[in-house]
Amino acid sequence: MKLSRRSLAAWLFLTPALILLAVFSFWPVGYGSYLAFTDYSLIRPTSWVGLDNFRYIFDNDMFVGGLKNSLLFLLMVPFVQIGALSLAVLVNNKLPGIRYFRAAFYVPVVTTVSVVGIMWGFMFHEQGALNYVMMSLQLVHAPIGWLSNDTLALFSIMFVTLWRGLGWYMVMYLAALQAVPADMQEAAILDGANRWQRFWKITVPMLRPTIMVCTILSVLAALKAYQEVDVLTQGGPMNSTFTALYYAYDQGLKHLKLPRALAASFIVSLFCVSIALLCLRYIRPKHR
Amino acid sequence: MKIKILLTALMAWSLTAQAAPQKIEFWTFSMKPKFTPYFETLVHNYEAANPGVKIEWIDFPWDVIQSKLVTRIVAGTPPALVNLNVPWADEFARDGLLTPVDALLADARPRYLASTLEDLTFNGRTYGFPMYSNVAVITYNKDLFKAAGLTHAPRSMDEELDYARRIAASTGQAGLCPALSKIDGLFMQQGLAVIANGKAVFNSPRHVAFIQKLADTYKAGGLLKDSLFAEDNFPAAIAAYKGGRLGMLLAPPTAVPRIESDAKDIYAVTDVAPAPLGPTGIADGGWLVHFAVPRGVDPALLPAIGKFARYLTDDDNQLTFAKQASVYPAMAHAANDPYFTTLPQHATPAQKAVSAGAVSMPHSHTLYVAGIDDYDELKRYLVKAVEAGVTGKQDIKQALDEAVAIWNKKLARQSKGHGA
Repeated sequence: MKLSRRSLAAWLFLTPALILLAVFSFWPVGYGSYLAFTDYSLIRPTSWVGLDNFRYIFDNDMFVGGLKNSLLFLLMVPFVQIGALSLAVLVNNKLPGIRYFRAAFYVPVVTTVSVVGIMWGFMFHEQGALNYVMMSLQLVHAPIGWLSNDTLALFSIMFVTLWRGLGWYMVMYLAALQAVPADMQEAAILDGANRWQRFWKITVPMLRPTIMVCTILSVLAALKAYQEVDVLTQGGPMNSTFTALYYAYDQGLKHLKLPRALAASFIVSLFCVSIALLCLRYIRPKHR
Repeated sequence: MKIKILLTALMAWSLTAQAAPQKIEFWTFSMKPKFTPYFETLVHNYEAANPGVKIEWIDFPWDVIQSKLVTRIVAGTPPALVNLNVPWADEFARDGLLTPVDALLADARPRYLASTLEDLTFNGRTYGFPMYSNVAVITYNKDLFKAAGLTHAPRSMDEELDYARRIAASTGQAGLCPALSKIDGLFMQQGLAVIANGKAVFNSPRHVAFIQKLADTYKAGGLLKDSLFAEDNFPAAIAAYKGGRLGMLLAPPTAVPRIESDAKDIYAVTDVAPAPLGPTGIADGGWLVHFAVPRGVDPALLPAIGKFARYLTDDDNQLTFAKQASVYPAMAHAANDPYFTTLPQHATPAQKAVSAGAVSMPHSHTLYVAGIDDYDELKRYLVKAVEAGVTGKQDIKQALDEAVAIWNKKLARQSKGHGA
């Protein structure tokens, strides 16, 4: 096969980035996946153990429960997407002070996770702001254990993850909204379409590629959630907030059990790839 | 001429080689910035007294020092000395990553507190130079005690729990915040075995009865709910104490100056007493930090490392450090210094805390279950069972039985693996 001059130029330009990707992404992912099938330890020679690490983690309540919780995190995706799109539509209006609102919604994205942990830890505390407000309004009569009740804690963490992600997707939708050609909207107005019809018939189809990207990104973020768990509950109460990736983090970085961590990460990656492929199949714009 | 030049160069090289200082690198955890002057002075004084020795001090956050150490041991460039606690040392020693220091302790051995060396002795070999230790004292709010009709500090665990219930009944505030994520240590302190003959045994009627007492106290509002089962519940406990929401704080004496600086009104109504010993005679909250010698250090350097380690942990230096850090020396002479043993008239709560801790120090041991792989993971099942039982989400016996079954399944697999 002979490469055309144009293709050759493209490959030449791509090469530096591909080398970096190969060294810093493909090789670590490939080697890490291989190590998931070994008894790798920094202090002993490595040998192949087949599926032992996978058997171990699937025999472990914390990983299995964590995997279920990671899948439960997916419930958050529609809320993030609808919320972010609604916010983007709202802040796309030319109103006085609208830049302030755009910035305000973006602040959680740039707030470090440790600060998020301290802040929401205080909000969710039994003596914290949320319970204070709810009790002052007589909505509840006793403090709610947002992070200490094993039924509620995961949903509290999901809310924080949603809160952190909303601004990011809002900005992406805002950029896409501003790229919708004004003449199409004007033509629709001339044809007598109302706001709702213009939104459904013009804006949403034009946003479809962005919706796809944002959905895939938020699905992956949901499956990979672990930072919020670490700063808010460390897997408790009663191991109810373990996620699959938090289990990997706990095993690999806290206890240096790298093969188990890699096996758990491998499973999470399989889920990520499968669900991303499903999204691509069902949300991909029809003309592409 | 050429030979002359060569000889001169060779002589110059050998002189330089002779003059090359012996480099000793030692690691501590979480000492900077508060103790930077202390360690810099130590290093300066040692280098001045030992020409030809170059000391390098590196401080890491406590949660990364283990992985840094493993990496450096594997790379073949370990530090000469490293700060570890007892459970870490046990795990490192089991993996063959530490060098026994019996020979390096030399004639300094009798000068360390016997209990500290016992904690660092695994399979008959000693793996560290004890540096400092600590123990819990009981800090209590006199106003809450008075409201509950309590006239003296508790003298047993049962009394602690009874007081906690009475404080809750009289004031609506929690009485106690035990570290229930460390329930294994609490069991051992109370004379309740966690493992016997290679099997988990924490579901006996005595264990169930002990958890039942905790559950009764929890139900009565006597236990602080904030972070009760968290890996580290100290921040929540001291915050509640400083806010007047907790009757008794079980914590090291270092907590008391923090109360003094952050909550003067609560400090004014604070008193301190030694924490009750368990039926085993072991004090609550004991832990020890030491300097270990990693595997793979240059054997020729060992005598110099031993000399420096003995200097780092000698009476004078331990005493100075202990006074600055509100901890206790692991050297017998320093531990008996009047600073710890003599209580001034009109002593402040902070001074009482130092003295109360000194009373418990001879009974201090680091309590943990040694020699088990994946211990932290197993402990999570135990803590989960205790949490389910204490909070009333599951029958205590049933919860403990389930955890014991998981432990025994994993322990059986481990013993098979070791036997193979």
